[in-house]
Amino acid sequence: MNNENYNNLILSINKLSKVFPGGIIALENVNLDLYSGEVVSILGENGSGKSTLVKILYGVYTPDSGEIKLRINNTMLKVHFSTPLDAMRHGIVLVNQVPQLIDRLSIAENLAITLSTLKIKSSVFSNIEYVSKMLRETAELLGVKIDPGEKVYNLTYTQKQFIELIRAIMVDAKIIMLDEALTYLPPIEKKKWYDLLKTLKNSGKTIVLITHKIHEALELSDRIVVLRKGRIVGVVNGNEATADRVRQLMFGESFNGNELIKQNNSNVNQHLEHEIVIENLYVSDDHGREILRDVNLNVKKGEIAGVVGVSGSGQRELIESIVGLRKPVRGKIKVAEVDVIHQGIKALRRSGVGFITDHPLKYCISSDNSIVENIALSCCPSGLILNWDLIEKKTREIIEEYNIQAESVNSPVKTLSGGNLMKVIIGRELERAKRVFIAYNPTRALDELSTVRVLNKLKSKARDEKVSVLIASDDADEVLSICDTLYVLSSGRLIGPFNPRNTPRERIEELMVT
Amino acid sequence: MRIVILRRKKEIKYNAIISSCISVLFGIAIYLFILWLFNVNLVDAIVILGGSFISPTIVKDFLIICLIGCGLIISFKASIWNIGGEGQFYVAMIPGIILTLIVFNPEESNAGIPSVLVIILVIITGALAGAAWATIAGVLKAYMRVDEVPVTLILNYIAYYLLNYLVSGPLKGKKTYGYLRTDEIPGLYRLNIVLSTPQATSSFEGALYGFMTQVAYYLAVLIAVILVFTFIMWMFKYTKLGLYIKILGANPDYLLTSGANVKILTLCAMALSGSIVGLTGSLYLLVEWGRIPYGIQSHTPGYGYQAILASWLSMLDYRFLPVSAYLVAGLRNTGLSIKIAGLGDTEQSLIILGSFLLAYSITRFISDYEVKFEW
Repeated sequence: MNNENYNNLILSINKLSKVFPGGIIALENVNLDLYSGEVVSILGENGSGKSTLVKILYGVYTPDSGEIKLRINNTMLKVHFSTPLDAMRHGIVLVNQVPQLIDRLSIAENLAITLSTLKIKSSVFSNIEYVSKMLRETAELLGVKIDPGEKVYNLTYTQKQFIELIRAIMVDAKIIMLDEALTYLPPIEKKKWYDLLKTLKNSGKTIVLITHKIHEALELSDRIVVLRKGRIVGVVNGNEATADRVRQLMFGESFNGNELIKQNNSNVNQHLEHEIVIENLYVSDDHGREILRDVNLNVKKGEIAGVVGVSGSGQRELIESIVGLRKPVRGKIKVAEVDVIHQGIKALRRSGVGFITDHPLKYCISSDNSIVENIALSCCPSGLILNWDLIEKKTREIIEEYNIQAESVNSPVKTLSGGNLMKVIIGRELERAKRVFIAYNPTRALDELSTVRVLNKLKSKARDEKVSVLIASDDADEVLSICDTLYVLSSGRLIGPFNPRNTPRERIEELMVT
Repeated sequence: MRIVILRRKKEIKYNAIISSCISVLFGIAIYLFILWLFNVNLVDAIVILGGSFISPTIVKDFLIICLIGCGLIISFKASIWNIGGEGQFYVAMIPGIILTLIVFNPEESNAGIPSVLVIILVIITGALAGAAWATIAGVLKAYMRVDEVPVTLILNYIAYYLLNYLVSGPLKGKKTYGYLRTDEIPGLYRLNIVLSTPQATSSFEGALYGFMTQVAYYLAVLIAVILVFTFIMWMFKYTKLGLYIKILGANPDYLLTSGANVKILTLCAMALSGSIVGLTGSLYLLVEWGRIPYGIQSHTPGYGYQAILASWLSMLDYRFLPVSAYLVAGLRNTGLSIKIAGLGDTEQSLIILGSFLLAYSITRFISDYEVKFEW
């Protein structure tokens, strides 16, 4: 390492390893150096150890072995982060996909809590007016207008993510880690973020980007680090990287370029009956505000309908209402001939409806139970006695089909990585969906190859089994690639239907932020 | 120096048994240390301690705690904290007294009904009474979101005073020489078997005959323990209800979205839990007490509470419940023996229980986590 490189070195990871209970190797002898003023993307398939690495750097997990050195007062010193606050005190901040803000407090109050907890000039930071002033100044530097007194629940998803970034700047973060933080930003906003991150990089900050979107990594990164099964399998310089090269490193021998070719969906027969009928639906959000107004939507047998919108536009509330988890203010919801409002989830499940809501850990899986028990709950035939041979066979099929990395069918779900956990949910719910499949962000946490496989599976479900599919998503890419009919959710209203094949993408993106 | 605490990657084999045994030894060591500080003769104390764990009197406590523990684990697995074992245990005795002394009293009428049918009816109604008592807390939890811990605890005291009222009023015995208690259940309905053993010629023989006598006396409870254990192991392994109860304890929201009726399942878990505790109560009446005395709160051996301790110590694992039930029964015996031997009073049994729990918590922590020191 030459002198200039060494002087720019800000963090050095040496032989970092982490094994989870059950013997699952998350990281094995990982070495990585981060330099000031660079953007490093960390890519890898599900279960490759990306999140574990970031969580170790952020003080969430303790490594089993290895060391982390951080530049403090111009000297590389060995550090341990026992909590996220500890990491933040050392200038390392993580921005997640889901904003970590308290909805009922104002923006300034949220930031004051962080700053005073960090005990950086605590007397000053507990002064809301001072924090508000600082907030305005930092926001102006980023070219964003912010009212510090605004309650967080009134903000859009993009604004909340901006607040997270501003928080990182206000605590004087040297390393800002973004864990899928850009995924659900609307495309137009995303471009602003790219510019912003480049500005931060030029000001000497180190940006660590965790993403499953290869094009995003290619656009922003100075270096791309690829992890596979807990080991670094390649580091590619940004100007030399190509999507195929990165994919090859990510998926190794399992990568087959042909899989990524998007298949056109089947033509939906116009004479088939509707499986999902929504009429004049009005829904309130968690704070009692009307978030959906006069929503009308029909999905035919074998049709894939997509609802896209900026995160927080009501997709979550729409899906929760359709599956019976949220009581609408008024309106009619009929799914697979079930009057959802009056008959509820049980009737829906009996009619062959599979669904994935927001908060998969809360509503879609029991982490303390094994994979096979989770599958059994949904896939076991009627009757009082469980046929474990049949359920285990089904579980093994799902594990194989979705390439779930698990020790055995009896492994507790909590030992799986986020992506593998999501695959268990998808596999089980698609198995359950005999007539209708409804999902909110179904490919969240999945790597590119797994996403394509799941989307292709959805297409074949619709085409071959005539299953009706309704997908709501904050990610336009997820929906545009597979749906027959597209709707845009904006300002509480459902706009559409559009034919995604002859509607320009720009038009959809424009409507999303209207 | 930095202390790093990591969850163990692999479970230690026979973890529950090993940690239970180590904690008993460690707990005893702490206890003896405290006694030593107070100048108590440690040899006497060790003899009493050792004797309590191998005394034939442990059989009764072990079986009763084991059976009630079986019931409590069902609700605990569903994350419903049924602290009401005591109440369910005693309420279950009421139908037993009514059936044997009023409805089917052989001295008054119904001579033609076989006693075995009456016994079965007493056990069934006892189980139902226990289930109904537990379901009160279940209904309040499922439909009104009232926390089950204070409710089940309060129901224990309501059960005590309900029994006191009945014993001093409607169920007051006619042949009790003025004492406040019910009459004794007719002999043909009693389930205790009195075994006559030959005169022991050695202490080993004495202990052996003692165990044989105790096992015979409580044979009905032993059979119930075996049957209930088999049923519950089968239920959790092979039935949908068992799986639902496990998931109810882990994530009720997921159970809801999978189409199950969480409210009904809450009631089922509580009713099933209460029914097994009730079954134990009715057996205790038929085998041990034979009548209900007045002032239950001062007569109760506290099995309902001791079984909670046994269930928790087993980490809600049925396979280890007999081990933890044995430990709790042994500790209970020790406390009584210490009192009888004049080495101390109630506080002595609390000290030994506390020492044991402290040792158990430490060993459980060490068995689950690795503690590393980094310099």
